[in-house]
Amino acid sequence: MASSIYYKGGDILSDNNGVVLRMENITKTFPGVVALDNVSIDLNKGEVLGILGENGAGKSTLIKILAGNYIKDSGNIFVDGHKFEIKGPAEAVASGIRVIYQELNTINNLTVAENIFIGEQIVKGPFKVVDWKTMTKRSFELLDILNVKLDPNAILGDLTVSEKQIVEIAKAISKEAKILVMDEPTAALSEEETQSLFKIIRTLKSKGVSVIYISHRLKEIFEITDRVTVLRDGKKVGSIKTVDTDENKLVEMMVGRDIKDMYPKREVKIGDVVMEVKNLKADGFNDISFKLRKGEILGIFGLLGSGRTSLVKALFGANRIKAGEISVNSKKVNLKSPGIAKDEKIGLVPLDRKTEGLALMMGVKENITLANIGDLGKSFLISKVQERKKAGKWVEEIGIRTPGVDQEVNSLSGGNQQKVVLAKWLESGSQIIILNEPTRGIDVGAKIEIYKLMQDLCERGSSIIMISSELLEIMSIADRIIVMSKGRFTDEYARKEASEEKLLHSACL
Amino acid sequence: MAEIKAVEVSQKKKSRLNNTATLFIILVAMFGIFSYVGRPFFFSRLNIIPMLNNLSFIGIIAAVLTMVMVSGEIDFSVGGNVGLTACLVALLLDKGLPGWLVVIIALAGGLVMGAFNGMLVTVIGVNSIMATIGTMFIWRGIGYTLSNGESMLAINPVIDFIGRGFIFKVIPFPIVLLVLIFVLTYVIMSHSKWGRRVYAIGANPLASYLSGINVKKVKFIGFLLCGMTAALGGLILTSLSAVGMPQHGQGLELVIVSSIILGGTALGGGKGQILGTLAGVLILSILYNFLTIMNVYYFYIQIVQGSVLILVVSTYEIRQAMARRRT
Repeated sequence: MASSIYYKGGDILSDNNGVVLRMENITKTFPGVVALDNVSIDLNKGEVLGILGENGAGKSTLIKILAGNYIKDSGNIFVDGHKFEIKGPAEAVASGIRVIYQELNTINNLTVAENIFIGEQIVKGPFKVVDWKTMTKRSFELLDILNVKLDPNAILGDLTVSEKQIVEIAKAISKEAKILVMDEPTAALSEEETQSLFKIIRTLKSKGVSVIYISHRLKEIFEITDRVTVLRDGKKVGSIKTVDTDENKLVEMMVGRDIKDMYPKREVKIGDVVMEVKNLKADGFNDISFKLRKGEILGIFGLLGSGRTSLVKALFGANRIKAGEISVNSKKVNLKSPGIAKDEKIGLVPLDRKTEGLALMMGVKENITLANIGDLGKSFLISKVQERKKAGKWVEEIGIRTPGVDQEVNSLSGGNQQKVVLAKWLESGSQIIILNEPTRGIDVGAKIEIYKLMQDLCERGSSIIMISSELLEIMSIADRIIVMSKGRFTDEYARKEASEEKLLHSACL
Repeated sequence: MAEIKAVEVSQKKKSRLNNTATLFIILVAMFGIFSYVGRPFFFSRLNIIPMLNNLSFIGIIAAVLTMVMVSGEIDFSVGGNVGLTACLVALLLDKGLPGWLVVIIALAGGLVMGAFNGMLVTVIGVNSIMATIGTMFIWRGIGYTLSNGESMLAINPVIDFIGRGFIFKVIPFPIVLLVLIFVLTYVIMSHSKWGRRVYAIGANPLASYLSGINVKKVKFIGFLLCGMTAALGGLILTSLSAVGMPQHGQGLELVIVSSIILGGTALGGGKGQILGTLAGVLILSILYNFLTIMNVYYFYIQIVQGSVLILVVSTYEIRQAMARRRT
């Protein structure tokens, strides 16, 4: 068979039943960061390959190259043994590659059948009228292959997230699909829904479809994959058969060091309550109460759509509060806008630093002083001397690696960008710092620096609220973890009593 | 790695400097060629002074509109504002109001128009292109209503001075206003806290909001100032022509926006230089003046004006695409 030509010298762990996809020495750089550095993967027919890595390891970049959304700098891609240049999404689809992203691409006001056949509606007759009957029938068949009962005429907006995902899968296999890529498919699913998804994956597998499964939940990796490829900081650490490894081994491969070094936790003296939230209600969540103490790191855990981001936005004045109250230092506050929250010494490091945290085309110094333009000099003019001094101080103190304070932040690495956002709130003198997924998209080294920095701040008397979907991270760094599900509070754990099972269970309640 | 980046930065700085500098070089070259081809009239007092006067109100409005555009919004209603202001001035003078009071009312009228635009955009959330195309028609329509569609004489010592007066007997007053406003907007945009907020909002409105900046307030004030400056432009034009008529300032928005984009202001906001706008205004004003004195039919000039806008925006988009490809 053709693929055997490329099998020689390939991944020794590949099974001998044919390599469907081979990505060889793929390199991709972005300004300021090497996202992928000579990464190679093999995918066999009918195999479920897990790609494992922390945030920022290069998983998404690899997938986007495969899907034709990014163009690789160098390297080769072979599909069924044929060298293949993917120039755009259309070519990827034509060669049988289907990607299901975490953010689903379904259209809410169309039916299931319409979504499945979007862009390639079945038509009949000389005037190419849409053939509804055949489309409905074909949808039935596809859903039947997946072993699920869904009405092809149901409006998508009425379905649950997992049902929408099933529609995406049906869409993916509506044309011949050789390779199905799923990017964190369970991020918004409950335990039960995850199991039915796994059933579908097994069905597809038995029909010869190869699946690339991306996740950072170890439990799932062990349950569904045949083989795992681990990436770290844009490099491939290795591939290993799932049965030949265990959790500890994989974590070590992921973080490249002992877990203790990865999550350096110091015991900080925890003081009085600095923030109290009582029965808070706003868009996205309801009836949330908690206390935050001085020097404490409070973790908030929840699945996608649990209301965690809505909650922190409300705590920062960016989501209108409908009921309940917030007190800062025992004083009731009315957080009507981020400006007021800032004056109450609250700072927010948002989920997406590029769209919410930074003015990318501006320099490091402009971004560090962004929340405190008013303090740059006494008159209405900006004192450029003061500005440099202030920015320079933080660059030095928290180790932002940049050629200078004039450097455009766009060209910094993710970790350094995140530090710039943090520096903005340090400059602002924030005592309560809210971090939403603080280590999203940054390399392992920078993550450790961020963890250390967070604890430095706590030692100096600040308090931190941290949202994270990385279980290891939140269980290691947070002193206390609140779990949210569907906009409600479900459980609270001290660091020592939290476990992956407990947190996931509480997040699905 | 760090060194490479530092080099990149200095190159970027250089090329940005070059942009404005290039425009001024083009300007000088154009001026030389036009003076030769259009000799002897082009470079004569008879042409230069009216040209500068004409350019003055275009430049004044362009400087302030640059601030609005850097913040990521736009105001197409400035031409309509000029028309309405012209009619208002003539009407009030006709009613016998003193000149100084007419000036104050006209500027206040400009503020009201600016506030209306600002409210539509920041309070209701209307896209500023749509909002100000709407108000462009409203302002001019009110101008037509006030004047019954006719030209009205607008003669009064105070009003006369605004457009046709001289400082120290040699410097035309509109030119003084032009220089004053450019110096002011330059200082605001390049050195003030306010200007920094304007750039930050244009660069990333969401990040600015989440850094505690009152985005709506900054944008609103931009529209307010733009309305008032357009009214000042209307005063100058009324004074220059000694009549108030609703057709005043027709098509002005096209010339002004073309000049600003030619000057290097980004359409999406966040980037733009006041000096670039000055160069853009000078280049286009000189070009149109030259075409006029060469007896190019007015209809053709309209075709040129439209083409220039498209050309300028196309160049901008192509350069953006090239910059993107480089990264």
